Amino acid sequence: MFHVTGAFLFIGASVTAAVLNTLALRAELPSETALHLRLIRLTLPLIGIGMFLTLVLGLWLVHTDGYSYGSFWVVAALVLWVVSGALGGLGGRHQEKARELAERLAAAGDASSDELRALLRDPKGNALSWLAGLAALLILIDMIWKPGA
Amino acid sequence: MIAAIRPHAWDLPLFLHVFGAMVLVGAVLAVLLLTVAAWRQPNLRILARSSFWTLLVAAVPAYVVMRGAAQWVYSKEGFSGNNDPTWIGIGFMVADTGLLLLLLTTGVAYWWMRSGKAVAGRIVAGLSCVYLVLLAVAWLAMSGKWS
Repeated sequence: MFHVTGAFLFIGASVTAAVLNTLALRAELPSETALHLRLIRLTLPLIGIGMFLTLVLGLWLVHTDGYSYGSFWVVAALVLWVVSGALGGLGGRHQEKARELAERLAAAGDASSDELRALLRDPKGNALSWLAGLAALLILIDMIWKPGA
Repeated sequence: MIAAIRPHAWDLPLFLHVFGAMVLVGAVLAVLLLTVAAWRQPNLRILARSSFWTLLVAAVPAYVVMRGAAQWVYSKEGFSGNNDPTWIGIGFMVADTGLLLLLLTTGVAYWWMRSGKAVAGRIVAGLSCVYLVLLAVAWLAMSGKWS
């Protein structure tokens, strides 16, 4: 039950961050962009708690339910967990840079700039966050289908 | 470890049900954060617009996927409605009550977006908070197989 709760916190809060990031990209004023990106920070503790619960309780369940730690689906879940966390962290840094610039522009007249637009639409920065989300989705698929179990 | 012992034929509907529920939780949480921000800055119209479009574009489609897949899994598991386990009853109760709550929240969010009235934003905050609690009860009941 608490393993699934962890998964809901992890993936649910990641969806929240993705929604807020999308809304930040669509905002017209830097102050509006900054506001949406600031709200993403509130999801980080939930994502962190969710990731912790899924890992610790997941490893415990593998043991108690008699699965092998070397099974493909267990190894795949661990690799994807690390990939999702690493890419999410890097994507978060990109969002922080965008937020800081948006805050500065908001304080200086609230007019957008090419630099902010470029930062918000940077394909590499956005790809990091979306790939982190994709890795989390693959963990869910892996947990349900359990390939190699 | 969402379900350890079950036929593989249930995997796709179960995945869609759980994934829909997770996206629904995420979208409602986003609305709650937006409305809490609006509580402190009631004059920011963008928060009303963001809340409404999040409900319409993310939460409502996620609900449809979650509820449709729930019915699919239910039929595959061979339940009939007679003597179903308590956790299924809780799931259906939250899903069906939740639809009304979700539509009401979306409607009030539309009113908030059009009128800009702070009270509408506060109602959306309250409704989304209640819905999030109900969704948490449902996922705890269903994953813990309360009976």
